[in-house]
Amino acid sequence: MKVTFPYMGTTLVYKKLVEMLGHEAVSPPKPSQKTIDLGVKHSPEFACFPMKVIMGSYLEAVEKGAEVILTSGGHGPCRAGFYGEMHKRILQNLGYDVDVIVFDSIRRDFKSVVNNIKRLKGDNSWLKLWKILKLVYKMAYHVDELEMQLQTKRAYELQKGSCSRTWEKIQRLYETVYTEAELIQAHEQAQKWIAEIAIKEVPESQKIRIGIVGEIYVVMEPTVNMKMEETLGNLGCEVRRGHYLSHWIEHNIVPRPFSKSREHILLEKGEKYIEIQIGGHAKETMGHIVDYYDQGFDGIIHLMPFGCLPELVSQSIMPKLMEDTGMPVLTIALDEQTGLANNLTRVEAFLDLIRSSKNNKLSKVS
Amino acid sequence: MDKVFLGIDVGSVSTNVVAINEKHEVLSKQYIRTNGQPLESVKTGIRNLRQDLEGKYTVSGVGATGSGRQLIGIMVGADVIKNEITAHATATIHYVPEANTIFEIGGQDSKIIFLNKGLITDFAMNTVCAAGTGSFLDHQAERLGIPIQQFGEYALRAKRKVRIAGRCTVFAESDMISKQQFGFSKEEIINGLCEALVRNYINNLGRGKKLKPPYVFQGGVAANVGIRAAFEKELGEEVRIPQYYDVMGALGAAILAKEALEHSGEKTKFRGFEAADIEFTPTSFECSGCSNLCEVIKVEIDGETAAMWGDKCAKWTNSVKAT
Repeated sequence: MKVTFPYMGTTLVYKKLVEMLGHEAVSPPKPSQKTIDLGVKHSPEFACFPMKVIMGSYLEAVEKGAEVILTSGGHGPCRAGFYGEMHKRILQNLGYDVDVIVFDSIRRDFKSVVNNIKRLKGDNSWLKLWKILKLVYKMAYHVDELEMQLQTKRAYELQKGSCSRTWEKIQRLYETVYTEAELIQAHEQAQKWIAEIAIKEVPESQKIRIGIVGEIYVVMEPTVNMKMEETLGNLGCEVRRGHYLSHWIEHNIVPRPFSKSREHILLEKGEKYIEIQIGGHAKETMGHIVDYYDQGFDGIIHLMPFGCLPELVSQSIMPKLMEDTGMPVLTIALDEQTGLANNLTRVEAFLDLIRSSKNNKLSKVS
Repeated sequence: MDKVFLGIDVGSVSTNVVAINEKHEVLSKQYIRTNGQPLESVKTGIRNLRQDLEGKYTVSGVGATGSGRQLIGIMVGADVIKNEITAHATATIHYVPEANTIFEIGGQDSKIIFLNKGLITDFAMNTVCAAGTGSFLDHQAERLGIPIQQFGEYALRAKRKVRIAGRCTVFAESDMISKQQFGFSKEEIINGLCEALVRNYINNLGRGKKLKPPYVFQGGVAANVGIRAAFEKELGEEVRIPQYYDVMGALGAAILAKEALEHSGEKTKFRGFEAADIEFTPTSFECSGCSNLCEVIKVEIDGETAAMWGDKCAKWTNSVKAT
């Protein structure tokens, strides 16, 4: 099978999984203005931004020959759960004969997940599948951990862009990994590259840590969120995202009969603000913010697709959360109409706000 | 000679240039229509300032803000280049220290800034549309055939109340036409518009956040007494308008420049009043180095490259610093 998938953050891990199962991976190109234009043209106007960009990615992938689309489902009332079906119909109406395999959470629909796995597994033995899954999960975990190191270092790099270039290099390196031994080697090499990046010394009191939370697609895919991580890094902030692929796998796929996943603990932290799952990642968003507050972060950037229902709910809870915790939150809605300059002004002002309140606290202590 | 600090705010509608002394007293202020030509309007502002100041004061720092801040900052040699939200709040904190909420309505954007004990705690900017800004009023004034300067006074003369849909400029216009047919006077319609703008502003930017007095209203639209009255009616509180309401952004930039230089102890990078006469050409090109196809802006001063930006990988930005 020629298999494709949405482009969300690094596609390295999905690509590896598909390849190792003996399929041909057709990665869509990194979303560009062309992808967005294409997606907007073929999507309903009221659909949310991720649906449109992913539509564009699929169109580019089927153009390259993809026959099967691999995607995740959604839970709760969020529209994203329906997008697999919608994408399929739109593609079929356009005359593309493609199949869409939707993975829902294993805890929600065990049977369909097993059926999907059987389809992808093909003639591979269950043992081989287990080994592949283990390797890919480890890889996702490694890659995320390396990315976090870069998200910290970028704030202090001496030569602008060196962390981003290292990140590109690491992704290319991991593309060549197929065994556990190679994985360990790649990790060592990547660590060496990261250690080589020259940074400036900044006193602990001047360091600023920002958490990016919100809807998973706009948080994870830099080309649709104005490269928020890089932008913040270049302005001297350490960054963490609410969503990492390895966390998603851990929460949705890894069987965990006795303990709670990291995500699960985070969800409980958000319960003070949203008690039930209202769809999308609204509850996670609140949980992530509380967690970042507990970790001593300085501020939160909350990203959402324009008109995203779950995140609109979390946005309206922000004033209360800000009052409770004193944590500054900046909400930015993104879609194809987003103006860069306007949002950059907001981000800059937001960082000024954080810096001045931080300095003010310091001068009061001393 | 006494020291002065300059602040330049390049906005979509007006370009403001101010000079303050060390006690934050305003020595000169220029309010110039930008007319789509930010470079020319700044040059005019600096020439006017030169007549007021030259020979009497030395310029010890310059700050730039507004949507054209980066370009202008390079042209004049600004010490501080700051976003307009921080600049506006800084000015208010100095001139109206007890303020808790700032309403700032400019030509094409509007902001709300929340303060607590002289620190910004939160802010919001209009996101989707201009139906809460000066351009909206400008356009409606033109349609009704009255000069924008008298718009506010007309509103105050209204005898009856009329509700105008203010969510969108186009729909507001259709609503105005039908209300005119119902027999409402120009004054009443203008008053309805002012109330619609305020309602829209508070819904859009306030978003369920608690607004705490004292309120300060600044930006070009603060000149409109009708809007001020509508704010006071909506909030049931006095809304203060600072003396230099129309140039607060520029004042903030000047104060920020002063503070930054006092802190660092460095000398100003100001190019001198001659900055108004240097040949300054911004150009842009599409970089074909990768698939990002960044639009890179290049600024040349007297034929020499002074700055480049807009590239995502910083290839061009770094190339200037090296030389």
